[in-house]
Amino acid sequence: MNLIVNGSEVEIVSPPLTPLLHVLRDELDITGPKAGCQQGGCGTCTVLIDGEPRRSCLTAVAAVDGASITTIEGVGQAEELSAVQAAFYKHYAAQCGFCTPGMVLAATALIERKGGPVERDEVLEALGGHYCRCTGYVKIIDAVMAASRGEVDSVDDLPVPEPGQPEVLPKGSPA
Amino acid sequence: MAKHHGRGFATIEYPTGMNQNGDPSQAWIKLKPDGRVDVFSGTVDIGQGSKTVHTQIVADALGVPYDWVTMDNTNTDSSAVCTGTFASRGTFIGGNAVRLAAEKVRERILDIASKELEIDPSDLDIEDGEVIARGAPQKKINVADVAGAATYNYGELISGSSTALKPFADVDDATGQVEIEPHSAISYAACVADVEVDDETGEVVVQKLVQVYDVGRAINPTLVEGQIEGGAIMGLGLGLLENSYPYYPSVKHRGGQFGAYLAPALRDMPEIDNVIIENPSADGPFGAKAIGEMANNAQPPAIANAIFDAVGVWLTEMPATPDRVLEALAAKREPTRDGKRVVFDEHLSLKAVSANQGEGFFGVEA
Repeated sequence: MNLIVNGSEVEIVSPPLTPLLHVLRDELDITGPKAGCQQGGCGTCTVLIDGEPRRSCLTAVAAVDGASITTIEGVGQAEELSAVQAAFYKHYAAQCGFCTPGMVLAATALIERKGGPVERDEVLEALGGHYCRCTGYVKIIDAVMAASRGEVDSVDDLPVPEPGQPEVLPKGSPA
Repeated sequence: MAKHHGRGFATIEYPTGMNQNGDPSQAWIKLKPDGRVDVFSGTVDIGQGSKTVHTQIVADALGVPYDWVTMDNTNTDSSAVCTGTFASRGTFIGGNAVRLAAEKVRERILDIASKELEIDPSDLDIEDGEVIARGAPQKKINVADVAGAATYNYGELISGSSTALKPFADVDDATGQVEIEPHSAISYAACVADVEVDDETGEVVVQKLVQVYDVGRAINPTLVEGQIEGGAIMGLGLGLLENSYPYYPSVKHRGGQFGAYLAPALRDMPEIDNVIIENPSADGPFGAKAIGEMANNAQPPAIANAIFDAVGVWLTEMPATPDRVLEALAAKREPTRDGKRVVFDEHLSLKAVSANQGEGFFGVEA
């Protein structure tokens, strides 16, 4: 079996009925999709299968042979966040962060599908199967709606991380 | 059979941390030779944002930029002791530990800067990473240079450690009674819940929660809001959906699997309105008291009160599941007998036969 995971083609050696979640986490060491309830109830294992948000814990890998899989790792990087990730950052939409990968992927698919600003009710519908036990959902909804309106479209809107080297050389330092 | 609306109100007072004795949080802070600050605090961030808030407290107490401060609390070997992340104690007790440690570090920075600038430490201030002479702002030295001088010229590691610990109470030897001081940081909160109760299905829907929290000082208002909103949904879960081990350690009330334990999802969200009151505590770091665990305490009683307002039954056991609501309504529909009198409950029976909820007769001016 083969999968295209975050743009790279990989060969899968796990048995065909292995849940996609475990193939990603255990065989490919991609730990963005979280093993939450593993009954399809919590949403944190969500990945995009050919662009559609799906529960990877309930998906046998053989059923998606050849498909293109996007995990949170394929959406953006720490120094180059996607619009949805940047909006989550800006709106404080994550607390413990365990639900965040699934939320971001489902929101990304929603915005992609809609192609423009999404209504509150559409967010409730698209993320309705995702549990969050920290935030009370308020800031998550704010973030998704802001991202869909293009309010936070790049990391340029965010504070610049501190460079690795200090700018001031200490007095008397051998360096 | 109808839907009834009700409004309920509940208030709480919340003593921050453990309200007996002790309950320590420790912190240790050291300065690198480049003036950057390492904080070893025992408080564990479980997503509520204590790392951010403690970083803010240290940066403000020291007078250095926020991004100079690195919070390392991920290691139980190297970090200081903290009783734990519970009882809304992270900002008040853990925050006080880092504040007190930072004040000691500040003293050492001023002492060394005083030698370098030849100005008395009491005439020096630290602002935005620079030690500045009061009244003579051209006399200044960067904290990085102070830390470098301490390391390479004076042979000192600038550091400070502290413990926030509630003083021990006095025990009266004769009576064995313990005198406990009133707690120094009691937070207050109020919650108003608007609910809709369906007397046919027993379903309760929370339509709106208005929540007011006195947190002393909101060091990071957005994080405070995050705690209030998160607490609202947890409280709603406790009030309507979640069985939370009332008879621990018996697991009688635990759901057998994930799907059997209902937690609020997006569709259960009511309209939420938050108000933050800043009524500073004399003992808190920059006046802060608490927000955290306290944020999910007021909703269940407010919901219970609102259900009473709506249909006139008291649910004395949470959560107010449809079966419990229906059971209470059925008990209420049963008439009471007093000798030859059989009396039906006014609240429900009147409304049950009335076309306009007992408000009066049509066509008759009240």
